[in-house]
Amino acid sequence: MEVTINKQDNKTLVSLNGRIDTSNVEKFQHDIEPLMQGDNPDIVLDCSNLTYTSSQGLRMFLMLQKSVLARSGKMVMTNMRPQVKEVFDITGFSNIITIL
Amino acid sequence: MHCEMILDQYRERIPLFERIKDVVINTLKQKLSENNLFVNGLEGRIKTEASLTGKLELKGYKYRTIDDITDIVGVRIITYFCDEVDIISAIVEKTFEIDWENSVDKRKMLEIDRFGYMSLHYICRIPASLYNDPEMPMLNQVRFELQMRSILQHVWANMQHDIGYKSTVEIPVEHQRSLNRLAGILELADEQFSIIRKEINDYRRNVQSMVASGNFDEVPLNGDTFRSYCNLKPFKHLAYKITTINQAEMYEDSLMPYYNVLVHMGMKTIGDIERMRIESSDSAYQLALLQLAGTGLDIVAYSVTLQNLCIVHILKMGFGEAGLTRMFASLYGENDYNAQRASRIFKQAQKINII
Repeated sequence: MEVTINKQDNKTLVSLNGRIDTSNVEKFQHDIEPLMQGDNPDIVLDCSNLTYTSSQGLRMFLMLQKSVLARSGKMVMTNMRPQVKEVFDITGFSNIITIL
Repeated sequence: MHCEMILDQYRERIPLFERIKDVVINTLKQKLSENNLFVNGLEGRIKTEASLTGKLELKGYKYRTIDDITDIVGVRIITYFCDEVDIISAIVEKTFEIDWENSVDKRKMLEIDRFGYMSLHYICRIPASLYNDPEMPMLNQVRFELQMRSILQHVWANMQHDIGYKSTVEIPVEHQRSLNRLAGILELADEQFSIIRKEINDYRRNVQSMVASGNFDEVPLNGDTFRSYCNLKPFKHLAYKITTINQAEMYEDSLMPYYNVLVHMGMKTIGDIERMRIESSDSAYQLALLQLAGTGLDIVAYSVTLQNLCIVHILKMGFGEAGLTRMFASLYGENDYNAQRASRIFKQAQKINII
């Protein structure tokens, strides 16, 4: 699992590459920690190379969104593959997180 | 010479005035918060030296010392509704010491055939029981002015100030008449806003009791009734069953995004949602079982309950994939994925004999 963070204007673009599961969720949490602070909370998560997320990953996305909302920012996930989107759909997370 | 003395006293007391202003504003913020009152504005100012000089030039003969001038520290509360002025004034009366002799309720000063400036002005002191500082004993002796007005009264006061309406001699009669008419409209609008708000609050309380009584067929579906219904946690049993599939954690999210879906589905009363819940809960659970079993996904959103109920209801009503696509478009906007998702769910529903 690789996380690439790029600042662009007033928002942060984050590319997710690989799968999020029990084996790497701690590393993922560590990688996204910088996104949970700062004055420019808006985040776009590019999921075009995210191949799977487990429920641990869902919890991380929820935690990240809470942090963004607490700073009056917006978080969106984009270019999600259908098999990943299905995880969000069947758990109801599509109703919680904005997926474009 | 006399005015110079007052100006000297003013300069010496600036730190005291600043402290009074801060204490008054902080106290009011706390009191408003404790009473769940939300105001449009709470602002304070110290009269500038230029403004005081102007006042002394005009009316200096009235003041012996600076203590006779009561509006050097001024604080203003602007409410949204005119009836809140009375609520806030009651809080102010309990909080500060009021100099009644010099306080003015301009709302009651107008003749019955006159409209115009209406505001409540209290001259107050900070009681030592509220706040005191041994190094600043004058803090509890110096008076300040507290103005309370609604936002429309504030609009009128500002317009009046800008147009110079007070100096009636400078304004031709026909314009005075127009301004008077406008003041009347603002006063009427102010009262109407208060009345409408009270009626809406009464309606909401009534709706809550109707929903709580369980007479769902008598409760029309709208944003307020749906919220009250959701507060009863009507899908908690279904939610519990879904969590048992993977021994999952339930994340409590809002069901409000589904309000529009329910309206588009033709639901007219809370009773219609109840019928859907009773008739479709088993199928909604079966759908969740098919989707979640074996995935290991051990967190689900509470909204998955209503999501699946709506899916099942749409399919049972015969609206098919197109109906599901419309539901997803209503929730997430138009996109190509909606039809793919609808197609996938339609096939799953066939497997478990929902259709």
